[in-house]
Amino acid sequence: MIIARNLHKAFKTRTGTVKAVDGVDFEAPDGQITGLLGPNGAGKTTTLRMLYTLMKPDAGQVLVDGIDAARDPAAVRRALGVLPDARGVYKRLTARENIAYFGELHGMSRAAIALRTQALSEALDMDGILERQTEGFSQGQRTKTAIARALVHDPRNVILDEPTNGLDVMTTRAMRGFLYQLRDEGRCVIFSSHIMQEVAALCDRIVIIAQGQVVAAGSADELRARFGESNLEDAFVKAIGSEEGLHA
Amino acid sequence: MTPGVSNILATLWAVMRKELRDISRDRRTLALVLLMGPVLYPALMLGMGALSESRTRTQLDKVLQVPVVGAQHAPNLIAFLETHGIEAIDPPGDLDAAIARQDIDVALEIDADFGEDWQAGRPAAVQVVHDSTRRNAEIPVARLRAALGGYREQVGMLRLMARGIHPAVTRPLSVGTRDLATEDAKRGVLLSFILPYLLILTSFIGGAYLILDATAGERERQSLEPLLATPAARGAIVSGKIAAACTLGLLSLLLTLLAFKLSAQLAPGLGRMLDVSFLAMGKMLLILLPMLFIGTALLTWLAASAKSMKEAQSHMTWLMLLPMVPTFVLMVNPIKTQLWQFAVPFLAQNQLLLKVIRAEPIAAEIWAVYLAAGFGLAALLWFAAVRRYHQEKLAIAG
Repeated sequence: MIIARNLHKAFKTRTGTVKAVDGVDFEAPDGQITGLLGPNGAGKTTTLRMLYTLMKPDAGQVLVDGIDAARDPAAVRRALGVLPDARGVYKRLTARENIAYFGELHGMSRAAIALRTQALSEALDMDGILERQTEGFSQGQRTKTAIARALVHDPRNVILDEPTNGLDVMTTRAMRGFLYQLRDEGRCVIFSSHIMQEVAALCDRIVIIAQGQVVAAGSADELRARFGESNLEDAFVKAIGSEEGLHA
Repeated sequence: MTPGVSNILATLWAVMRKELRDISRDRRTLALVLLMGPVLYPALMLGMGALSESRTRTQLDKVLQVPVVGAQHAPNLIAFLETHGIEAIDPPGDLDAAIARQDIDVALEIDADFGEDWQAGRPAAVQVVHDSTRRNAEIPVARLRAALGGYREQVGMLRLMARGIHPAVTRPLSVGTRDLATEDAKRGVLLSFILPYLLILTSFIGGAYLILDATAGERERQSLEPLLATPAARGAIVSGKIAAACTLGLLSLLLTLLAFKLSAQLAPGLGRMLDVSFLAMGKMLLILLPMLFIGTALLTWLAASAKSMKEAQSHMTWLMLLPMVPTFVLMVNPIKTQLWQFAVPFLAQNQLLLKVIRAEPIAAEIWAVYLAAGFGLAALLWFAAVRRYHQEKLAIAG
């Protein structure tokens, strides 16, 4: 369970202060997929970075399984599996070594790492690439490796920043199946995307973010009802007040 | 909750193993990092030693041909020179131009009045003609001067004795010199400039490739953010990377020193110039160890704030010049050895390495000052590098 309370984050740039996140509030319960939907530059990645303690919020609070991220960031990071926007894998290591490295950093034993790698490899269909160096991997293979690496310690909470970016249709479908599996295992899954159709198809709850603020939240049906639109796309446009991001 | 010490060590060990495995798969880079020093430096020094030795030997042994202007005025002098291995030859038309063209190293001009002055007992003039900025002419000029000086002494003494005066009368002062430079120190003159620089450079930037790749490179390849999203302590991650780079640097340094030892056995010339006992090698290693830490920690700190690998690499240009600074300063302004010098990085290593090369003893207080200052600076830079890794903006790539 992940709770974000009134998060604020501003960056100083040469031209002045930019409020990237300006009061984001939402809850992501266990056993559900929560989608953060918003156009490019809406503040999704910054919000997620505050959730996984890479950034400190200027104001507000992050709670992961009841642990305050400001008080014990290491415990929060242990409870999280994170696929960041930046997902480089080590080219000269094999997929298995990439996964094992992160297992070691989580303090796992060799045997536990081997077991988890086996399970993740089956779930993500990675058996054919496990022993290969990741140099020359396709985008999909790299993403799979990065996800397996992020989940090696079997976390209760999973944060994925645009996991389907750059993937082909078949890989995206497989990824969707994997996310359902994570949800059915009772985990809390947060997933960000700028593609409305994807969020609509996948998520139990949708949080729409625009210009650093939550403009609407609820299930797909709730959002349609609230904005009086039978089409979720129109509801989305109404919510963010522009057509920005729809064609991305 | 703070992570336990064993946790931190486990992380450090995991990061270090990963970085070393990573670079071990990059065979060509690894070979370049590990073998360049051990192969290039001894070859360079053996070559230089052989060149200078053969030059000295041939210039001292073979008959020196000196163009003499006006040889007919002083046949006895010419005959004397002949017995000292200096053969008079006919001068070219334009002597000055020939020296400028470097066709001739040194020439002798005998005054037209030489014979007359000689007979009259007046100082008879001869001139040594050479270009003092040409190092190649140094030995021929010295040989000619020594021979002329010998002739002057000999004839002067004969003249005094012919007049019944003891030659010692003209020598109220007998000036001798006792050169206290040890034999070992004399041999080390050539090496004293080049060897410390090479060794300091090897240790200072020995871990450079790995640490740049593991810090600025890791960020550029977008794998830093996932790494920092793990619960591993950032201090332990940085320390693991530094440890890996230092391991590689140490290995390269060890190979370089072993290569010197090996080549000293193959070529006795180098062995005479350089103390290659295991004790001396051990001392050199101890002297260079703080340098390795200082260089690696400094690069980590610099690379952490670099926006790209390219920017981080551009630091190398001035870093490679740093170890040369004391060499230049000492060349222009030689200073006496004082205790404070052993607290100044680069200068300290330079002075200490010279002591080892010259087989001079190093006092305990010098070791104490040096090691405290060296490791102290390394610890400071390490702390600064770790601090940079706690900055928020570091993790966010591009």
